[in-house]
Amino acid sequence: MTAVIEVEDLTKKYGEVEAVRGIGFSVGAGEIFGFLGPNGAGKTTTIKILCTLLQPTSGHARLAGLDVTTSPDDVRRRIGVIFQDPALDDRLTAEENLMLHAVAYRVPRPERAARIAEALRFVDLHERGRDLARTFSGGMKRRLEIARGLIHRPEILFLDEPTTGLDPQTRARTWEVLRALRRDFGTTLFLTTHYMDEAENCDRIAVIDHGKIVALDTPAALKQRVGKDLVTARSADPAALARLLSEKYGITSTPADDGLSFLVEEGDAFIVKLLTDDRPALAGISVRRPTLDDVFLSLTGRQIREEGAEGQFARLRAIARRRG
Amino acid sequence: MLEVIYALWRRDMIKFLRDRRGLVTSLVRPFLWLVAFGFGLRPSVRLPVPGVDFVSFLVPGLATMTVLFSSMFAAISIVWEREFGFLKELLVAPTPRGAIVVAKLAAGSATATIEAGLMLALSPLLGARFSVVGAIASLPLLAVFGMAVNALGIVVAARMKSFEGFGSVVNFVIQPIFFLSGALYLTNGLPHALHAVVLLNPMFYVVDAMRGLCLGMNRFPIVLDVAVVLAAAIAFGMLARRAFNKMEV
Repeated sequence: MTAVIEVEDLTKKYGEVEAVRGIGFSVGAGEIFGFLGPNGAGKTTTIKILCTLLQPTSGHARLAGLDVTTSPDDVRRRIGVIFQDPALDDRLTAEENLMLHAVAYRVPRPERAARIAEALRFVDLHERGRDLARTFSGGMKRRLEIARGLIHRPEILFLDEPTTGLDPQTRARTWEVLRALRRDFGTTLFLTTHYMDEAENCDRIAVIDHGKIVALDTPAALKQRVGKDLVTARSADPAALARLLSEKYGITSTPADDGLSFLVEEGDAFIVKLLTDDRPALAGISVRRPTLDDVFLSLTGRQIREEGAEGQFARLRAIARRRG
Repeated sequence: MLEVIYALWRRDMIKFLRDRRGLVTSLVRPFLWLVAFGFGLRPSVRLPVPGVDFVSFLVPGLATMTVLFSSMFAAISIVWEREFGFLKELLVAPTPRGAIVVAKLAAGSATATIEAGLMLALSPLLGARFSVVGAIASLPLLAVFGMAVNALGIVVAARMKSFEGFGSVVNFVIQPIFFLSGALYLTNGLPHALHAVVLLNPMFYVVDAMRGLCLGMNRFPIVLDVAVVLAAAIAFGMLARRAFNKMEV
């Protein structure tokens, strides 16, 4: 697989603050590559550098073999970008938004109408082409942006938090569209997210924290790395259970609601063993395979929080109020 | 390149024409001035030019004022588009930033000139009398002035983080330009210091040229007036280009 995105030792400083601290990776053609990390980890900064909106402080980034700092215009023609906040002109119709994009990206005039119709059909908005974008729901706007990203047939599509703020149904629908995009056009997708379940859709994930890549692998391999399953046991006598676990199996447990939880390899087999043991009475027991949440937790010692995203919505709502 | 500028210009024009209510309310300000100020002061003002009545005298100044306000506030669209993200879509496209600025100036100026044209067309209903040919000939000059003002607005907007900030700064800029332009009075009798300030104001030259074209009462040769306005438009245009380039998204 040929690399379409190559990043070497990339850094970005804002004054004294280092937002991106020497990251490097490469993304193959047709790959779905995810940047996973909490808000403020450096995801958006990286995406802005890759799509030529920001200059890196040092290091190199090449897209389709073109350097983002020295040939930004050539890079811009080859990429599509879907931003975190909607970037539509909501006082224009869906079609007008797409037409403007087609002109700006110099799509040959005879092809424009056909491409707009095709893109609208692709995201299932072909019946709403003449409606003002402001009448669209959040999910429809996001789909319209994806349609817009398709108009100039980019080799690489960047998506910054593509489904933040969308309801689960719309998120699922958006992902259908994204996967179809790769299947039908061979587009490489580069996305950032702080949703673990969204990251599961990626072929490979770079886990980023404090401006550094702390792990880079397939979702399955990352989860493998955590290895152990999480077992939660409810018991009337958690202290006795904890003693049994540590004395007989050498397992450290932590208190949980109505009981305790612990990490163990092959949790299902362990449960069976535990049930046949001489043990305090159990009210319930459950085992869970590791998720990317656990991966993040084990890599960084912290959980991904979402406060930042909510803060942003509060800000947008405040603007919307003023505007109204 | 030209096609991109046209497409971006057209986008702003479509939105302007869709907003009929905005168009109507933009005419309220000049007509309020014309009615309150024109009819209010007419009995006590005697103009040195025979045959020109005070209401007619105000028309060129108020048409220019319409362009000043409308074109300046059109620049707020940049704050708007940055806040709502559309600007990023433009900046990440393979379109030179200069083309975006030119399209903005052209659209801001065109909408302002349409509003001023409507104001000129409707003012005879209030009894204003002026040369129709002169008024039509003034429109290109108003358009150039509109670009200069819009460019100034972009310079302000590029630095602003919020709509409120833009509003207060712009009022601070716009009021002196308006009141020290001679739009409402003849500047001959002003104290020296004030007169010097007026002569530094590009709007003064627009009003002067328009009074010449519409009423035959200009102080300076119209060619000079036009040259000053053109120079201001070019200078402000370059400043706007620079401010836009430096702007962060």
